[in-house]
Amino acid sequence: MAKTPLYEASTQFKNWRYSPDSLASVRASLNSAAVAVIRNTFESDEPGSSSAVSFLTPDEELLLVRLYISKIPQLCGFFHFPEEVEATAVSYLKRFYLKNTVMDWHPKNVMLTALFLATKTTNNPISLEAYTNNIPKTSPSDVLDLEFLVAQSLGFEFAVWHAHRALWGIWLDLQSVPDAPRNRATTHADIYDAALQHVRASRLSDAELVYTPSQIALASLSMASPDLASEWAASKFPPDSPSVPGLQTTLASIRALIESSVVPNVEAVRAVDLRLKLCKNPEKVVGSKAYLAKKAEDERKAEEKRMKKAAEATTEGDPFGDELAGGPGGIDDDDDD
Amino acid sequence: MANRMNWLQGKTVRKNTPGNASHSRSSSTPQIHSTSATIFGGGVKDPSGRITEYSSEDDQCPVCKSDKYLEKKLRLLVSSCYHKMCESCIDRLFTLGPAPCPICNKVLRKLAFTPQTFEDLGVEKEIAIRRRIAKSAFNKRVEDFMSLRDFNDYLEDVEDITFNLINDVEPVETEARIAAYREANAALTLLNTQREEAYIHSLRQAEEQERKERELRAEELRREEEEEREAKELGKRDIIDRLERADGSDASGVVRKAKRERAEREATRKGVAPGKGPQALLRARLAAGAATTAVKDTPHIPFQDEYYAYDDMFTMQSVYVDRASEAVRKDREGIMRAGGYWVEEAWERAVRSAVAGT
Repeated sequence: MAKTPLYEASTQFKNWRYSPDSLASVRASLNSAAVAVIRNTFESDEPGSSSAVSFLTPDEELLLVRLYISKIPQLCGFFHFPEEVEATAVSYLKRFYLKNTVMDWHPKNVMLTALFLATKTTNNPISLEAYTNNIPKTSPSDVLDLEFLVAQSLGFEFAVWHAHRALWGIWLDLQSVPDAPRNRATTHADIYDAALQHVRASRLSDAELVYTPSQIALASLSMASPDLASEWAASKFPPDSPSVPGLQTTLASIRALIESSVVPNVEAVRAVDLRLKLCKNPEKVVGSKAYLAKKAEDERKAEEKRMKKAAEATTEGDPFGDELAGGPGGIDDDDDD
Repeated sequence: MANRMNWLQGKTVRKNTPGNASHSRSSSTPQIHSTSATIFGGGVKDPSGRITEYSSEDDQCPVCKSDKYLEKKLRLLVSSCYHKMCESCIDRLFTLGPAPCPICNKVLRKLAFTPQTFEDLGVEKEIAIRRRIAKSAFNKRVEDFMSLRDFNDYLEDVEDITFNLINDVEPVETEARIAAYREANAALTLLNTQREEAYIHSLRQAEEQERKERELRAEELRREEEEEREAKELGKRDIIDRLERADGSDASGVVRKAKRERAEREATRKGVAPGKGPQALLRARLAAGAATTAVKDTPHIPFQDEYYAYDDMFTMQSVYVDRASEAVRKDREGIMRAGGYWVEEAWERAVRSAVAGT
């Protein structure tokens, strides 16, 4: 029986692995579906009003999400959360926007919720009050209202394999390479720090949705010190093994991804955000006509369901069975004798 | 000196052992630690000497108000009306014959004072009453009744009477009830008392029998050892004798022969021995059982899951140069570690994730 490698048994490998093309198509289809729904709502609210609205493109959505991803390290630095929390929250945020769109759920609150959820799933819990009191203009309900939605969008798959742990592993395993200088880990500590910076930069990109954590870690190390990276890779894969060329191209593309990942320009994002205010799904804006209509619709449906249930209950006869209710002579079950 | 220190270490000094008794009399130790074995009546008797007389540092005689602080020898005894007073008060008040209790005016005698066993005098009273009830009259057994129902009713009655006596409810009527019962069941009570005594006697006899057997076995063992030692001695002397006679021509051959002979002798003796003691018999039986039921010892195979953990892709070192875990490794007392945390496991997880999926 062939055994499943541990990583391939993970939900990260099974459910959160994309090719660059599939990523783009997922985002495009999500965007177009959301645009269609919102346009419909606008039209039903006020016919002809949607023609003037310019909806966000998938790239603009991604830009907005990236900006909020870049806020997570700042928050984690403020709260002194470990690296694990930071990386997990970033993964959650990215994964959330592969199931939802920015036009439905604004990333600001989703980011706060993802981070709060990550503190809990990585066993670094913090009280909700301590969390929201230290973030301006945030109430506990901002975080909690979305929590179930976020968890549901993640498919309740909270475990994430991280590149920074793989990098740590490579750094430790480099000490097992034959003829390695014993004190290299201390004398070349700056290489590790530089590689870690590259791993952090990779979090702004889509690298973790396309490549495995160990590939990202090795690429980051190769950016900091190509010699060490090739030394480790050579110790793991003999130079004539068939997987080496593939690995080289993979590493090259990860390096390109990391190099191209920059924190989005705040001005550009602000412009996008302004437009988002206009094209947000009105059903999710409290107080708008569409919101009220949706609420009324939901209530009508719920009422219908209740009526149906009540009707079923009456036609089905006695809930405890007909034998008791319609027995011969009947049972005198009132006590007023 | 060691004996004298006993009272300091809280050990019980038993007055009835002659060595200690003389010692405590001659020593300046003022404390009296009498055990119930010395008690002249009443109290809980405990032949093992584990239950001692109750006394505390806060003891104070309610009659003369002298206390442990000033009067180290203070010893409080309990009257039959369950009031405490010190020995000197008892001497003072009751030497000339029965006199009223200074607290409740009940007429008391000097001999009716008992040492205290329990801190709570209520417990003391209850135990005394229960003993009296059980000894004097109410010792029927379940065999003496027609049905379990009757027996339970009888037990209920006994409990009622006991409760009344303990809580002083209708004392006169209760005493009358006991007297009436005793009169009605005198023969049966006597019979049951005799039965009880016979049972205790038989228990004691069985114990004695067992002790004797143990001694016998020990004696047997000692004798066997002695014999073995003698045989060994004899063998040695025999070798020396033979060596003398062989005048050095084949010394090693003589020694070997003598040794072989001795081994044979021992083998025959061992072959006979198992028939003797039960211990040896048991051992022989065990050995026989082991020989027949010996199970083939297959190596243990741990649970096999269907995952591949990249174990062939790395070898763990016993220790790594690692900045991240330095503080934890230095922390010998384990203050920073949660239960079950091993830095080696963290390393292994990291290395495993480094090779996973490349």
